[in-house]
Amino acid sequence: MTSTATARPWAAAYPPGVPAEVTAPLAATLGQLVRDTAAREGNRIAYTVVMPNGMYGDLSFAEVDRLSDAFANYLRDVAMLNPGDRVALQTPNSLTVPVVAFGVFKAGCVLVNINPLYTPAEMAHQLRDASPRLIVITDMFMDKLTEAGKLTPLPQIVVTRVAELMPRAVRGVIGLVQKHWDRSIPAHSLPHIRLPDALAKGAARPARRHDADLPPDAIAALQYTGGTTGVAKGAILTHRNLLMNMAQAMTFIAPHVAPAKEVVLTAIPTYHILAFTLNLLGFFHLGGRNLLIPNPRPLSNLKRAFENYPITWIIGVNTLFNGLMNEFWFRDAPPRTLKASFAGGMALHGAVAQRWRDMTGTDIVEGYGLTETSPVATGNPIGRAREGSIGIPMPSTEVRLIDDSGAEVPPGTPGEFTLRGPQVMAGYWQRPEDTAAAICAEGFLRTGDIATMDPDGYFRIIDRKKDMILVSGFNVYPNEVEDVLAAHPGIAESAVIGVPDGAAGEAVRAYVVRRDPELTEADIRAHCKAKLTAYKVPRQIEFRNELPKSNVGKILRRDLRAEALSSKKGA
Amino acid sequence: MVGPLEQAILALMIAVIMLGMGASLTPRDFTSALKRPQGLFIGVVSQYGFMPLIAFTLAMVLPVSDPVKIGLLIMGCMPGGTTSNIFTYFSKGNLALSVLMTVTSTLFGVVLIPILLLVYAAGLDIDIPASNIVVTLILLLVPVAIGMAIRRWNANVGALVELGGSALGIFFIVFLLVSWVPRNWAFLLTTPPSVFLGAIALGVMGFACGYGLSILMRQTPRNARTVALETGIQNGPLAVALVVLTFASTQQQEILAVPVLYSLFIVITSSLLTLWFRRIDARSQQTLPNALL
Repeated sequence: MTSTATARPWAAAYPPGVPAEVTAPLAATLGQLVRDTAAREGNRIAYTVVMPNGMYGDLSFAEVDRLSDAFANYLRDVAMLNPGDRVALQTPNSLTVPVVAFGVFKAGCVLVNINPLYTPAEMAHQLRDASPRLIVITDMFMDKLTEAGKLTPLPQIVVTRVAELMPRAVRGVIGLVQKHWDRSIPAHSLPHIRLPDALAKGAARPARRHDADLPPDAIAALQYTGGTTGVAKGAILTHRNLLMNMAQAMTFIAPHVAPAKEVVLTAIPTYHILAFTLNLLGFFHLGGRNLLIPNPRPLSNLKRAFENYPITWIIGVNTLFNGLMNEFWFRDAPPRTLKASFAGGMALHGAVAQRWRDMTGTDIVEGYGLTETSPVATGNPIGRAREGSIGIPMPSTEVRLIDDSGAEVPPGTPGEFTLRGPQVMAGYWQRPEDTAAAICAEGFLRTGDIATMDPDGYFRIIDRKKDMILVSGFNVYPNEVEDVLAAHPGIAESAVIGVPDGAAGEAVRAYVVRRDPELTEADIRAHCKAKLTAYKVPRQIEFRNELPKSNVGKILRRDLRAEALSSKKGA
Repeated sequence: MVGPLEQAILALMIAVIMLGMGASLTPRDFTSALKRPQGLFIGVVSQYGFMPLIAFTLAMVLPVSDPVKIGLLIMGCMPGGTTSNIFTYFSKGNLALSVLMTVTSTLFGVVLIPILLLVYAAGLDIDIPASNIVVTLILLLVPVAIGMAIRRWNANVGALVELGGSALGIFFIVFLLVSWVPRNWAFLLTTPPSVFLGAIALGVMGFACGYGLSILMRQTPRNARTVALETGIQNGPLAVALVVLTFASTQQQEILAVPVLYSLFIVITSSLLTLWFRRIDARSQQTLPNALL
């Protein structure tokens, strides 16, 4: 039997101009990529940080190159780090991010992004697990670092700030506001050096190419993941992983991007792999301008960015696109310069994509991936998007759907989505058993997602393996029901789980956050009945003001399930 | 009353504040407001429909002297004031709509104010101080245009000007309150309570009617807040100038009672309303999950 991976039914679906194979990385290492890009683009603007009131700061390609050289020098020659040493970075989107991240790559060290919203206990776990020798952290989080320091020894500390590298007057005003109005900068007594001082010390050292002998398979980043399934693990992403995934994703959208012409909105955090690979690296290499938004909450914080810059691309998540369309200023004046958008991180609802198309006249490309795949694994080609589908594999990516025994399922049947390609991680940091469980001997990564494949190679994620609901012997996939609920104009968001039910085994229960306060259970049932087979229609509907979410915005069905089970026992 | 120097300082402050307000606007804000002119229309209706009617009703109901009645009616027939733009900004309302409403009601006022006074005050013969109207419009429009241009030229300078303008705006409000009370202390003590009631009720009922009409006409909460403030807040200085130009000094003092008292209390009631509007706005913000938005 020919396997799907070798047959590649999706090969014909690549749009003109998109090759089915991406063979070579864009540069030998990420540091080299930064140098090459800066040599090509020079003094054009690479990164612009935009504050809610419109204040901004720019870094040119040449400046990013020069400052990251200085930081690499600081790491290796002043802080005395060795190649392969980990460097943690905990900051909201700011001009610090490219300077530090690229500096770490150029130093031959390993970047460890830490979520700024982590609690001290979560920070301590990650610091223990990755054991970085240095952390670059925004002054706003020094209180949490102090707390984390009581749980685990702390590395060397470099303190930065949101307004770092912005023009002096603006930096001063933002600093004053943060200190005296927001009071968001806690006092602390940890020994540290300020980032500008570190950069000055690094710049004073003789120029040196620290990454000259770095092999392409050197580790570039430990990207932590798994917050929704259990303890956070570090996915080992190599220089080659990131360079190849950039190339794959940028090739995939190549017909719709123009070198040195794009302005991309980076409202999702760069500590997340999606924005890291696509915005920080991909659009940078393309010569585009990244608009870094330190805090997109509330969404009105994005208003000035949309008013002041001709945004051509948005990389986001379902929540961002949906939220923007609920903002009056966005509805009044949807960006006219927008070409297309890319959604990842979570399923893009068909209704959201349609409303977006109606409002802006542009498409949202839904992609699919995991931290473990750097992250892009599949995508919907622009103009050939298929609703409810995660699209076709990236160039040079093989996909197999397998059953529980690991055998490939027959065409048309659901199976676990597994993939092999240059973007698949090297493994989990210091967790050989987890790595062995995730990546099979042939190199296919198991995603834990159940998918089906259309005859022409488009994939559809039906669900996470464990979220499936069994109603009287019929499989119900929560995503499908949630998709239907999302299409109702009176529903803001919803979550669907299975709860034990004597007669049917399990019953479908929907938790609904209303947009229209008048909405009733009967309305929702009538709406679902029109779109779903009877057994899929929620038997139980509960209205909520909000739904439990992970810190990356995924709705936590397991929390709802645990709550439902415990209340049943209590009754 | 208010001396020329003080008037000049106030005018300069308003100009600087409006420069800051302008720096928060883009041409698109105005085209959006003009694209759906219902808001503007509702504003004019509420400005020249409700306010004179409220003033007339108060004049009929309250036991006040004839000159006070005249003052009340004149106050009710005034166009929107520049202060309404400042309060709209702080209320997170639709500033472009507010500016457009002030401009429209001021321009319409040239024709409508005499007609309204003819209807409600049976042909009260008054002079519309044209120079005052021109000054109002210039003080509003020129700084706004310059502010918008500054922002377009450099967003950082724009944001700094906006920040400065709004800080001065708060100072301005406090300054109005603090400087008014000692200046008019004797007047406050001698004025009967019914005049107080008329001066306060005119603004408050204006807010309520403007807000109610907007909600009834299915305007967005943001536009409703704007129309409410724009309706309730009248151009006090214009009323004062109009009275001074029109009436002999013996009558003047008594007629001026309402415009003067109104000018004080509208700042207080608008501040309270703004605090409430800000809470509504904060509550209406979408809640988004942490991190990936």
